[in-house]
Amino acid sequence: MSAKLTLAIPSKGRLMEQVTEVFAKAGLVVKKVGHARGYRGEIEGLPGVDVAYVSSSEIAAALKAGSVHLGITGEDLVRESMSDADTRVTFLRPLGFGFADVVVAVPACWIDVTTVADLEAISGAFRRAHGRWPRAATKYKNLTRRFFAAHGFGDYRIVESLGATEGTPAAGTAEFIVDITTTGETLRANGLRILDDGVILKSQAHLIAANLAPWTPQLAKLRDDLAKRLAG
Amino acid sequence: MTAETALRFEALEAQAQKLMSVFTKAGHEAVAPSVIQPADVFLDAIGEALRARTYVFTDPDGAELCLRPDLTLPTCRLHVARHADPAIKARYCYNGSAFRFQPQGADEAHPREFRQAGIERFGESERETAEAAAITLIMEALRGAGLNDWTMRIGDHGMFRSVLTAAGVPERWRRRLADAFWAPERFHAELKQLTRAPDANARKLPRELLTALDPGDTEASEAAVGAYLDAHAIELTGTRTLAEMTGHLIDVARDIDAAPLPAAAASLIESYVAVSGPARACGETIAGLLKGAGVSAGPALDIYDKRLAQLANAGLDLSRVTFAAEFGRNLEYYTGLVFEVISPLFGPASPIAGGGRYDSLLRSAGAAIDVPAVGGAIHTERLLKAVKEARA
Repeated sequence: MSAKLTLAIPSKGRLMEQVTEVFAKAGLVVKKVGHARGYRGEIEGLPGVDVAYVSSSEIAAALKAGSVHLGITGEDLVRESMSDADTRVTFLRPLGFGFADVVVAVPACWIDVTTVADLEAISGAFRRAHGRWPRAATKYKNLTRRFFAAHGFGDYRIVESLGATEGTPAAGTAEFIVDITTTGETLRANGLRILDDGVILKSQAHLIAANLAPWTPQLAKLRDDLAKRLAG
Repeated sequence: MTAETALRFEALEAQAQKLMSVFTKAGHEAVAPSVIQPADVFLDAIGEALRARTYVFTDPDGAELCLRPDLTLPTCRLHVARHADPAIKARYCYNGSAFRFQPQGADEAHPREFRQAGIERFGESERETAEAAAITLIMEALRGAGLNDWTMRIGDHGMFRSVLTAAGVPERWRRRLADAFWAPERFHAELKQLTRAPDANARKLPRELLTALDPGDTEASEAAVGAYLDAHAIELTGTRTLAEMTGHLIDVARDIDAAPLPAAAASLIESYVAVSGPARACGETIAGLLKGAGVSAGPALDIYDKRLAQLANAGLDLSRVTFAAEFGRNLEYYTGLVFEVISPLFGPASPIAGGGRYDSLLRSAGAAIDVPAVGGAIHTERLLKAVKEARA
């Protein structure tokens, strides 16, 4: 029996629906195998592919470890969960949904802060006034750290926020945030403004290959076929 | 991962006892600060960069903790916990484990776990005397352990600030340059901006707002900023106060019609930052730079000379001591003197010992005021190996 190609896709919600739609547009029908609430599936007409329904955050981990061959998830989650994304995975196709920008946003009333350099410029004075560095609330700890490290900026600290991040400056638990946004509406409603050079990543859902997965020439061919068909 | 915390445990323990007896004989109380520390205090003192080199973790209660990356801040916390008045004089010494994440992988020169033996002296207002005493004691301990082949590098952030003052840099620009000193690229960018277009930041802001500010009247200026926010339907959000924003905006507004930093001043600053060489000769070089620029050094050069004289009196061979104005740039919590002891075996990237002055660190540890503080620590595994190799 030859090994199958494992494809991990989101197990629920809007993302799962969008994956199904994108496949349908390419003439591929994804359906569950067995129990309707089960976690395995297949693609009609592509018998070599095994579909695994996995929660979005775990797809990145599975790609990182190479425990699946392919996965569909947001670039933001992949880059957050590995510092060496470009060696561990290959981004095969952007899929045109799941758009989200990871951005640095500060209170709109900080009229003297429009760039990361301005943030650097006020952090010393902030520390003199408050006895600590300004805090960035985020669930993207690694993206935040890498982005500011690339700017040579270290005079801040991260506080982890797993929900309602945009409310933390008003609540007084952080001074600014790093979060995802699509239209910027939620940020504006919370009195926040994106820095002019504060877009860390323009993310969307991708078809992604795990470089560490056990690839054979047959599986690689199947991968290329799938990527080509999804390209429309 | 290595299976042992120390390879030559008995030799290391014997050496530690020798080091500690030098410190305790000189009136330092042996203390044992906690190994597990609140991550908060370190993050607030050092910033997010800490995480890149420290083991930070969450305990089952959800508290964010770390394994101490050195013993200086833990000793500061110990002092603040013991004394209601943090300015009280105290001398401590310690010998204990410290932990660093090694992104390139751990090796003998850069272990994940190592032992530091060191001293911290708080509350001594005779600064140069305390600094010379700390260096002398660390050197005495190193010599006692058998280290004969060494050189020392020193730096001095106080001197940097004095040169900025001597160069006639206005206070708001001195703060900007001092805040940027830690990041050489940013520092040069700031200096360039001040000499070419000091109003670059001001030009990004609405003129109507900046002209409404009155540097002499903070209350009226705050009202003007408040009125501007109201007029643009921007709500005041977050912990940064209107007063703080106004303070920064006033600094920026002052730049509108400010004359650029004279090229001579910028070149004096650049020349100073580039000074390095034998410690004695550097004192003369700096004096020459200032004289050439036609400005007075203030007390900084006297302090520099006084410190060297005290070190020489204590028997330190000054021909082995070099000064570099840039030295200590990556060590953000030092506020004055910094020093490192270097062995030929490990080289300047992996000093055998180091320390300096950190007058604002007790504040990070919870003190309400800045307290004079100076100290130094020995990397005991490196010392043991350096002494052994020199004998072989």
